[in-house]
Amino acid sequence: MKKVYLFKYGLTVLFLICAISVFAQTSVFKGKVVDETNQPLPGATVKIKGSTQATVTDGQGKFSFPANGQSAIVVQVNFIGYDLSERTITAGESPSIQLVPNQKSLSEVVVVGYGTAKKTDLTGSVSNLLGKDLNPGPVTNPLQQLAGKAAGVNVTQVGSEPGVPPSVRIRGITSLQGGNDPLVVVDGIQGNMDLLNQVPPNEIASVDVLKDASATAIYGSRGAPGVIIVTTKRNSAGKTTVEYTENTSLDVIANKLKIMSASQWSAQAAAQGVDISANHGSNTNWFNLLTQNGVTQNHSLAFGGGSNDFNYRASISAIDQTGIVIKSKYKKYIGRIVATQKAIDNRLTLTMNLNSGIEQTTYSPTGIGSVAFQSNLISQAYVARPTDPVYDVDGSYYRDPNVFQYTNPYAVSQTVKNDDNFNNLFGSLKADLDVYKGITVGWFGSWRKRDEDSGFYLPALSTVQTAIDNNGIGNIWNRHTDEKLMDISISYKHDFGKNHVDATGVYEWQAQTYNGAFTQGRGFVNDIASYNALQLGDVSKVVQGDIQSYKNDRRLVSFLGRVNYSYDNKYLLTASFRRDGSTVFGVNNKWGNFPSASLAWRLDQEDFLKGSTTISTLKLRGGYGVTGNQQGIGPQNSIALVGQAGTVFFGGTTIPNYAVTQNSNPNLKWETKKETSLGLDFGLFGDKLTGTIEAYSANTDNLLFNYTVPLEGPFLTTNILANVGSLQGRGLELSLAYRVIQTNKMSLTLAGNGSLMQSKVTKLGGNIDGYDIPTNYVGLGGGGNGYLVVGKPIGTFLILHHLGKDANNAETVVDEDKNGQIDQGSQSKDRIDAGQELPKYTYAFTPTFTFGNFDASMVWRGQGGNKIYNGVQQKFSLLENLGKSNLLQSAVPLGIASSQYSSDLWLQSGSFLRFENLSFGYRINVPSVKFISSLRISLTAQNLAIITKYKGIDPEVDVSGDGGSGQDYGVYPRTRTFSAGLNVVLK
Amino acid sequence: MKKILFGILIIGLAASCTKVNENVYDKYGANQFYSTPAGANDALANVYAKITGSWGSNYAGRDNCWYDLNSFSADDQVIPHRNTGDWQLDFAQLYTRTELPSLGIINNTWNWAYSTIYSANQAIQLLTDAKASADKIAEAKVMRAWVYYLLIDDFGDVPFYTNNNTDVSKIPQKKRADIYAFIVSELTANVDLLSETRGGAYYGRFNKWAGYMVLAKVYLNAQVYTGTAHWAEALAATNKVASGGFALHSGANNTSSPNGNQYFELFGDVLPNDETILAIYLTENVISGNIYGIRGLDGPNGTALIGYNGWNGTVIPETFYNKFDASDIRRKQFLVGPQKGGITYSPTVSSLISPGAAPDEGIRDVKFFPAGITDGSGSSNDFPVYRYADVLLMQAELNIRLGNAAAAAPFLNQVRERAGLGDIALPTLDNVYDERGFELIYEGHRRQDMIRFGKYLLPHDVVPASPEYMLLYPLPTSALNANTTLKQNPGYPN
Repeated sequence: MKKVYLFKYGLTVLFLICAISVFAQTSVFKGKVVDETNQPLPGATVKIKGSTQATVTDGQGKFSFPANGQSAIVVQVNFIGYDLSERTITAGESPSIQLVPNQKSLSEVVVVGYGTAKKTDLTGSVSNLLGKDLNPGPVTNPLQQLAGKAAGVNVTQVGSEPGVPPSVRIRGITSLQGGNDPLVVVDGIQGNMDLLNQVPPNEIASVDVLKDASATAIYGSRGAPGVIIVTTKRNSAGKTTVEYTENTSLDVIANKLKIMSASQWSAQAAAQGVDISANHGSNTNWFNLLTQNGVTQNHSLAFGGGSNDFNYRASISAIDQTGIVIKSKYKKYIGRIVATQKAIDNRLTLTMNLNSGIEQTTYSPTGIGSVAFQSNLISQAYVARPTDPVYDVDGSYYRDPNVFQYTNPYAVSQTVKNDDNFNNLFGSLKADLDVYKGITVGWFGSWRKRDEDSGFYLPALSTVQTAIDNNGIGNIWNRHTDEKLMDISISYKHDFGKNHVDATGVYEWQAQTYNGAFTQGRGFVNDIASYNALQLGDVSKVVQGDIQSYKNDRRLVSFLGRVNYSYDNKYLLTASFRRDGSTVFGVNNKWGNFPSASLAWRLDQEDFLKGSTTISTLKLRGGYGVTGNQQGIGPQNSIALVGQAGTVFFGGTTIPNYAVTQNSNPNLKWETKKETSLGLDFGLFGDKLTGTIEAYSANTDNLLFNYTVPLEGPFLTTNILANVGSLQGRGLELSLAYRVIQTNKMSLTLAGNGSLMQSKVTKLGGNIDGYDIPTNYVGLGGGGNGYLVVGKPIGTFLILHHLGKDANNAETVVDEDKNGQIDQGSQSKDRIDAGQELPKYTYAFTPTFTFGNFDASMVWRGQGGNKIYNGVQQKFSLLENLGKSNLLQSAVPLGIASSQYSSDLWLQSGSFLRFENLSFGYRINVPSVKFISSLRISLTAQNLAIITKYKGIDPEVDVSGDGGSGQDYGVYPRTRTFSAGLNVVLK
Repeated sequence: MKKILFGILIIGLAASCTKVNENVYDKYGANQFYSTPAGANDALANVYAKITGSWGSNYAGRDNCWYDLNSFSADDQVIPHRNTGDWQLDFAQLYTRTELPSLGIINNTWNWAYSTIYSANQAIQLLTDAKASADKIAEAKVMRAWVYYLLIDDFGDVPFYTNNNTDVSKIPQKKRADIYAFIVSELTANVDLLSETRGGAYYGRFNKWAGYMVLAKVYLNAQVYTGTAHWAEALAATNKVASGGFALHSGANNTSSPNGNQYFELFGDVLPNDETILAIYLTENVISGNIYGIRGLDGPNGTALIGYNGWNGTVIPETFYNKFDASDIRRKQFLVGPQKGGITYSPTVSSLISPGAAPDEGIRDVKFFPAGITDGSGSSNDFPVYRYADVLLMQAELNIRLGNAAAAAPFLNQVRERAGLGDIALPTLDNVYDERGFELIYEGHRRQDMIRFGKYLLPHDVVPASPEYMLLYPLPTSALNANTTLKQNPGYPN
């Protein structure tokens, strides 16, 4: 609770300005608001009960109301983190009102989508995180702030490339091609994960994660993968704030692979009989040459103010990151203004939100190297032999003509341009009108524009083969996204005795338009203009595909409603219904219905528990909901299309060729996820120990999948996006928090969470358009060894079992079916079931400690039960490659010269426990300094340590459930960061 | 009043904003595209686009499809695994007859063939609907018959359909002999409708002469397909082809020609009309490409010869190379011994699989000496599907088979004379078989010839004798999975 001081003193003096007008009046009713330690509480809202009159306490915690003829009034005092307090004030009296910090975290307000709910009233599964709960430190994307903080919310960051956001999976994988990214809602604006990038990390007031179907069904056909709702900071009415926050970090490489040095390579090359011509006698540490220490800076300046019926908050944030791979960098600037105005006797509330941002990224080049191993730049540093020089004798970048498609990674880093620029703009207006006794009508409209222009230039100097072939390739992409949303809502709230009803109805309309263009030039006389003047290239080299443009759109129309009913604060019912119509669905399935219902029983409100000293909180809840997923369906995915299919020589000339590129599927529709969830929230010993246990079981039917079909009947091409299969996901989640010490001076809370997840493919093939399509053993990541198999978990490893090596040191594998042949086909009986790509469990431990003005926190985060196909180790372990590539030091004792298999020799446990975050903060109260109200300094270290058996650079690989899952073919290295932060609140 | 107005507003907005029909801005709907005569014509062109294809889906030019399947299982080329870690084993497995039904090249060939048949069916349907001229419909039908011929040649009994509106996943295999009968009747009914034009607008297309060439090939192998020989019909068909006015291209030395001889113009950028019957037109980076030159050359040798780093892949087995006469002009296609770029190709390949061959082991072949732009994905040499020298050798073979060796001699000797070899007065089948090897090496005919001449199962080079079931390839695993009615060819696992 001590953190409140930060606000308190910070706002004190500035608030006086507003208070002057109040003092100017003859005040009769006055008082002072203080905290539990009798310190004044500025910024608390004081309202006269039964009226709309309200004010905010000043720097000394004082407030007053003008006389209105009454002899006494009842005031209600509200302040975040404290229980609501009521007090009668008689004229002339000047009482001191002491607020009591709220002990029960369950009494907080949670955003549940198209409304809010008290945490105690929740019936569905929602994780609620306030700004202060989020991970501190150098953060470039809000998701990084969530890692480890909520059960069942798994945030995965693969490597630390600037500008590359983490991915998040809520309650595992529920879809294959339908998409598993949750819906993101920022202050009512709905969007994809990229919307989160537009939220300044310092400006987040709270994050609510809707996890189960009964909570997300209100988002209908977009709700299945879960919903992340971000609420940004607002200015409290009548309060003035000026605050500057800064954080600077030093980013170092956390782990390196042990590859051979020049002398080790030379010794091995001699031992392996590599031709002496392959040894160029230099001593180059390519990895060190391509890496550096990075720096990440976050700056943000926020200010706000206003009066009782008007307030605003404005902020500008800047993030500047230089990567640990040379030349890679990221810059982000976001400016935002939120303004709220009341009108018509405070019955109308208008809130306008404007947000404009720029993101500039220089990515480290990817897709380079020889055809046998195309990878990112840093993985090419493993390929380059340590005995190769960086430069040739003539000063040009070195290239070995004897090696097929030789690539000099340093040349790539110095000459390739890979720039990306995003302009984001969104605005919204929200109007809420109190119509009549508990009836509110609202209108919400938002418009978001996202413009991307990227430029790529691959000069011949880069040594990359295709660049040499073409004498330079340059291209630009311009992509535009335009997203509009409008809600019209009506809500009603009323208490009838012990009955409480809260109902909301919404009509929603969303439209998204996408258009863009691509232009590519080849054959440049020099590299001066790079991608900025493609017309300077050789026009005769233009081929099909070098010029492209596109435009498509989608619209979603929805009607939705929700009723919350509670009786005596003990029995709670929430029911919601949504009907969605989307343009992207097939003509036969334009509309879908998504109902949900959930119940909760607050046992702690029952007489038999009311006086209990052991059980202070106990709530049992359960729900069922139907949600949909339509991310995987793009515009025009349901109709048969003809597209360009290369060129053809016909009639003595070269003409464009056209072919059917997509099958028609008039039945195409959303995936349907049906989920049942049960939960128990509890608090023991006066809520010293609080926690939640939840269990869920979800079935995804009408599974979207791009099925391979024979060319027959209605099928005009070999793939069709259809809704045939089914998946099952089940899990168990536990969150616990134990307040070991809780005094005014000191607090220690041990918190943690864990979740178990299990997935199963229950059905893959089936009937499409009257045709039976048997589908099974579909490849999914894992270095070509991961599969979707009916009856097994998503991404099951079916892999050849390593045996040893033969006389020629070629790898041998076990002939499982003993037929004398090793079959590498997908359904081969020589493959064994060796586990899964996706983690079976995740867990986190997040203790916090405060003592006076000092605070400390830690995040330990882990996952396990998954395997990783270590493609890097496979690529850099075969001794026969030594002549053209560097190898891992471990290749020597392994002694395998060649292998025609990708066996389980390279399959390793992906379990890990990471010491993700360690943070210390100290708040300095400086009442004597003239312009500064408070200062806080903080030190944070990230990724301090990792415990894992994985032999690659980092076990946090792609576990998103898409085609790159469960494999490691080289990642941008992960950083360990050390940062110092400063927060200054001005007077 | 206000509330009523608001209510009306809500209802109004809701009613006007519930339409969810799809807008299409940037694509062609299939129905509207193909409903025009131009669309039908494009459907015919699309069949050629399928035949040309590209990586993993093509008749010839690029890799991992029909050409590779039918070449690497013969005796005239192989790609060894290298002890430097280069090259997968697929090619060496085909050569040593150890391939499995899951081999990608088999799967690709099957898929390529059926997708071409699908496109041909579609073109026939659309052209018929659009009342297109008879020659165009015949062209599509001949192409379809040709692909069925390739299918039964490789796989024996295969699924058969001529109407796309069929549940293909349920149709069983049709007997090889029955499909043979269809091919013969389809070709006889349609070849005379085809254009007689050679070159120009018909370069790279099935004209009447290409049509008869396919018919000749089908009859030539009738005994393999049905057990009953049709030598006379085959000879009649070759005579029809010859009546198209073809002649052998010159075999004269010429410094400006590829490999220093005009003979190699037959494998150049655009193939000469005198001898070429059917070509696949290839232009690097525009219409697929031809990798058969670049695939064999070692890196520095490629750089020295054509300015491009070679792939160091295909080699000619030493045993095959050794059969060539020293004076044969066709030997100019081989690279052996010291070469430009400072490397030396040694003729013996020490290991095909493990530990693999050293980088410069093996004789290289530049029959398709890279023409036009050459880069990492090949060059622009067109590919000769059929040419007149093949016809002459077929005529020689058929005359011998019909008991007239003396009549066979002029046909055989025309080919031999161009190659700088002496005449054979009374040629035997083995003479023709060997000559076919010398003349048609690297052109994808060898497996079929080996089978017809009864040589395919015999031991050769490092390859031991093969069991008889290997006269057919296994059906690909993926096809068996998709259509459970299919039966694997005997001898192979599923």
